[in-house]
Amino acid sequence: MDRRKALKSAGVLAGASLAMPSLMSLLQACKNTPRLEWQPLFFTEQEARLVGSLADAILPRTDTPGALDVKADLFIDTLLAKAYPPRGQELFRSDLARFEADCQAAHGARFADLDESDRQAVLTRAEQESGTFNRGVWGTAVGEQKPVGFYRSFKSLAIWAYFSSEEMGENVLRYDPIPGAYRGCIPLSEVGNRWSL
Amino acid sequence: MAHYNIDAKKQMTYDAIVIGSGISGGWAAKELCEQGLKTLVLERGPLVEHVVDYPTMNLDPWDLELREALTPEEQQKHYKAIRSGFIGKSSEHFFANDLENPYTEVKPFLWIRGHQMGGRSLLWGKQTYRWSDLDFEANARDGHGVDWPIRYKDIEPWYTYVEKFAGISGEALGLPQLPDSHFLPPMELNCVEKMVKGRIESAYPGRHLIIGRVAHLTQPLNGRGPCQYRNRCSRGCPYGAYFSSNAVTLPAASATGNLTIRPWSIAQSIVYDDAQGRATGVRIIDAETGEWLEYQAKIIFCNASALSTTQILLNSTSDRFPAGLGNDSGELGHNLMDHTYRIGALGTVEGFEDQYYSGRRPNGIYIPRYVNIDEASRSDSFVRGFGFQGGGSRGGSQAAANEPGFGGEYKDHILKPGPWEFFITGFAECLPYHENQVTLDTENRDKWGQPTLAIDCEYKENEKALNRQIRQDAVEMLDRAGLKDIVGFDNQHEPGYGIHEMGTARMGRDPKTSVLNGTNQVHGAKNVFVTDGACMTSSSCVNPSLTYMALTARAAQHAVSELKKFNL
Repeated sequence: MDRRKALKSAGVLAGASLAMPSLMSLLQACKNTPRLEWQPLFFTEQEARLVGSLADAILPRTDTPGALDVKADLFIDTLLAKAYPPRGQELFRSDLARFEADCQAAHGARFADLDESDRQAVLTRAEQESGTFNRGVWGTAVGEQKPVGFYRSFKSLAIWAYFSSEEMGENVLRYDPIPGAYRGCIPLSEVGNRWSL
Repeated sequence: MAHYNIDAKKQMTYDAIVIGSGISGGWAAKELCEQGLKTLVLERGPLVEHVVDYPTMNLDPWDLELREALTPEEQQKHYKAIRSGFIGKSSEHFFANDLENPYTEVKPFLWIRGHQMGGRSLLWGKQTYRWSDLDFEANARDGHGVDWPIRYKDIEPWYTYVEKFAGISGEALGLPQLPDSHFLPPMELNCVEKMVKGRIESAYPGRHLIIGRVAHLTQPLNGRGPCQYRNRCSRGCPYGAYFSSNAVTLPAASATGNLTIRPWSIAQSIVYDDAQGRATGVRIIDAETGEWLEYQAKIIFCNASALSTTQILLNSTSDRFPAGLGNDSGELGHNLMDHTYRIGALGTVEGFEDQYYSGRRPNGIYIPRYVNIDEASRSDSFVRGFGFQGGGSRGGSQAAANEPGFGGEYKDHILKPGPWEFFITGFAECLPYHENQVTLDTENRDKWGQPTLAIDCEYKENEKALNRQIRQDAVEMLDRAGLKDIVGFDNQHEPGYGIHEMGTARMGRDPKTSVLNGTNQVHGAKNVFVTDGACMTSSSCVNPSLTYMALTARAAQHAVSELKKFNL
């Protein structure tokens, strides 16, 4: 939440006179949504905050890194800027706007500014309303793919960004660039996490 | 490794010219050079030196800014080939530029091309299977197309010959419909594939599930290293573990001192001398300068890939051959075939949660043809048959995205491998139909002002009936194997998706109905040989590249022998 909006929503600009301490405490409340620390290539600051907070809610930091730790939001921004044709960019942007509008309608705030339980409610609903990807064979999905909706597409994008990051690929998932041999049947415990490549 | 003479201009006459440097062209070059012929290989794209020109071979996903995604410009450049689902950033440079090399789809047809030294031998699937007399006798038996002028016994020693040099791994089974190759040790099945194999083989006596037979080394061979199981083949293999012209045949050809490769050389037409009654050389356009040049040779091998070879022949008109070189029969450009693609079934496997695998095996399973192989397996619905490729693995990131959930617990869960999945996808034989054809399109010209191809090809009733059977059998087999959440599919892909284009200059016994004779010589121009996919008289249901290799080596030996007898 930026400062101007915070003030506006509190009615400050409408002329109500508030004592300084109250104003300060109002601004304190916005502290958990800090300003973006990076410069997006494609997203507006608000969009970048939505992308980051959504990726973080799906893949938060635990005892392993979260999506933001591996800069999944920066990768998604780069992808939108450099790999999406104009039509795809427009669609993504309008999907983000619709998602944000739905949050506003249901919870009265942007997703990034929702508390934990409201975020959970939004994502639980999105999960229920989203379709799933058809399984695929050698790079092509099989059968007729029905639209999966923004949430599932975004989740897939976030997981891709997360898994294909250097930190996850080399240090969290099991990394073996030159296996040297194929062993078709080994205990999972020998490997641990999924292979990164 | 600077053993290629790229300053080929000053010498205009060679013993032999090979058009194209892919799988069959590489073999032609090797065989002709080793027999002592000064050989010029014309390659329409750039040089690709083994290892040196594999810029992405060691890159991890995070080394690429967009991972495997393409920019909108790259998507445009590959606007046709992108349909295959195979193009990513790490191999994009080995796929031809669709904007500079247009073709017209009279009916939908996917034409994947590799315009560089090595051609599609850098990109191929490496599945290598011998054909059998079930294939070579098929046309004669059911009356579709014309009879092959050869039988298995004619090509059998040549299969062995090329296999020993290419290096084929696999397991011998002794099946008459899928003869064994000269094998290196097979790759291993994983635990789920072994389970499915056991259940299918006991539920269906006579059906087999085997590890794919592949042109990947599982032992060192002639200085090449064995597969390291990185599965980054389409970027070029630093070990030379899989068969490509770049790693295998062209270095062998070069070692003789007889090889010259001329890159950026678009074969415009073959020059035919009416007075001599033979071809005298090849007219090329330098792709970089636009300059036209003519090279002469005693023999010419056409290995530009099925449709490109036919394009060159159609473009090679003379008083003797007004409708294209060797087109007395009117069959040049006709009888185009592929294999039907992406029909099958997939499912999930319960259990084996504590089992995994290590290494990325560039290979899967194969289920050899089991219909129409004898009287007992005869179908009333269709002629010919199909085989399956497939495999088992644990779910990837897409499967993780499908799993419901979000948050810390969900995230930690998807760090573990997903559930086991298993699929099979069929490849059906396509009949040779005269009306499935390519023609020269003089309205639409390429960057160099040359006529392009119009492709008019479709699957018909027999292929559709085969596809219905594939889907039905696939679902049934996975069900009998105990899989869950089984989905049968038929993506209804147009021809070309199999990337096994065959025919359009077929071999045959009768010059009135075929373009080539039994040793791949053009009827009426005996010093011109066609040994790529264009020469195929029928399509079998198994992958064709090994047969191109064997036919090429056989034809090259014949060419040299005839040359020595002054018959060409």
